[in-house]
Amino acid sequence: MDGAKAALVLFVAALLQLVVLTQYVTFRSGSIVLVTLLSIALLRGSVFGAVAGFFTGLLIDTATLGTLGVTSLLLTVGGFWIGRYGETTARDRFHAPFLSVAVVTVLYAFGNLALRFVLGEPAPARLVVHGLWSGLLVNLILTLPVYALVRRLFPPGEISDRVREVRLLG
Amino acid sequence: MPRNRTVRLAVLGSSVQRTAASGYPSNRSSALKRRIVVGGLVVLSLVLITISFRSSALDGVESTAATALRPFEVAADRVSAPFRDAVDWFHGLTNARSENSRLKAENAQLRHQLVLDQSAVYQNVQLQNLLHYQGPPSIAAFNRVNAEVTVNPQSPIDQSVTIAAGSAQKLAVNDVVIAPNAGGVGGLVGTVTRVWSHVARVTLLTDSSSHVSAADVTSPSALGIVSSADSGDVLIFDRVSKSKRVERGDTIITSGTIGKGALPSLYPKGIVIGTVSYQSESDANAFQTIQVQPLVDFSSVRSVIVLVPKDKG
Repeated sequence: MDGAKAALVLFVAALLQLVVLTQYVTFRSGSIVLVTLLSIALLRGSVFGAVAGFFTGLLIDTATLGTLGVTSLLLTVGGFWIGRYGETTARDRFHAPFLSVAVVTVLYAFGNLALRFVLGEPAPARLVVHGLWSGLLVNLILTLPVYALVRRLFPPGEISDRVREVRLLG
Repeated sequence: MPRNRTVRLAVLGSSVQRTAASGYPSNRSSALKRRIVVGGLVVLSLVLITISFRSSALDGVESTAATALRPFEVAADRVSAPFRDAVDWFHGLTNARSENSRLKAENAQLRHQLVLDQSAVYQNVQLQNLLHYQGPPSIAAFNRVNAEVTVNPQSPIDQSVTIAAGSAQKLAVNDVVIAPNAGGVGGLVGTVTRVWSHVARVTLLTDSSSHVSAADVTSPSALGIVSSADSGDVLIFDRVSKSKRVERGDTIITSGTIGKGALPSLYPKGIVIGTVSYQSESDANAFQTIQVQPLVDFSSVRSVIVLVPKDKG
């Protein structure tokens, strides 16, 4: 059930990003898909995040007619990492979604740049650095409503993979 | 009183296992599962990148998937159209007064320019007929395929768009793409770089891999290469000799193939690229430093015209 919900939410987010938001230059630096994916990963864990990231990336690569697998790779790693953060440290901390989005936005931008460079495609680092601040701002602004919506759809407390072993001190 | 170390050791030295909810896998097996899943997905992504980059084996799948996505993209575009129009309407309202007076002045200037241009074109055609002049191919030698932009650039470094026309409409790699204009032909947009049956990828002129041989309309002997300035919205008109006169406000067009070189230009002669926004010379540089403001607003290209050579059809 969660899988179908996540697929639908990410599909709508991807369409919104691909067709609507990127008509405005401001939203080309940010990404509602990334914010949605990270919110889901934070609430549903690393495996869920990685699988959701892989298929969302595949959808974006297909729609943009880009090199298949590039966005998948970045979103798989991002989804997994933030999912793991959600399973362990983040728990119900208020700052967790904002911190996750901020860190992954920066890493995603440089990861994308590095992959393009390795594939021999144009990779102007200057454009990435210039767009980073606006991208960070847009994504952080999007985080509040998107995370609230995702949290409604995927109520917390159902992560099967949270750490269940604790060491008592003192 | 002696301290009871036994209890302390017992607490520090051992871990306490919480009761796992029924049906959940044990920690060790779930960690293994997690590693297998993420490792498998990363490897699969790398395999996809390799196949997609090195061969065209996945082109068919990609084409089918892109075609299947098309109805959803159209639906999303239609659903968002009223909201987009509302945003544009409010934006237009705030600029309407200043834009109106600017456009009136521009209109008067362009009417005057049009009269001069029409007489020059008429004279040019007459002279070419008299001399039986054989020049490089112009836009008239191409069929025009109108196509909608379905997917916009997705990041600041992505300088490409997806259009809703492909090999079924006789598009091919390196076909030239221009913007539509109320008068007919708009500015240069870029070239087709990948083609599928019903969709194609267009690399914009602002991409750092795009280079166009160009000339100044006012000073036709000022030839050079227009390429991206790496700042996204400005182009560089490079390799222009210092002996040529180029001034701010001059119109830059594609020069087409000069002479009978082994590598003819992809672009027909006479497509407007933009206007000169900055020009300077320095002793350190063998050529002039010229910046060009593109005619096309690359941030909002919603439809394009692809020029397909007539001999192909």
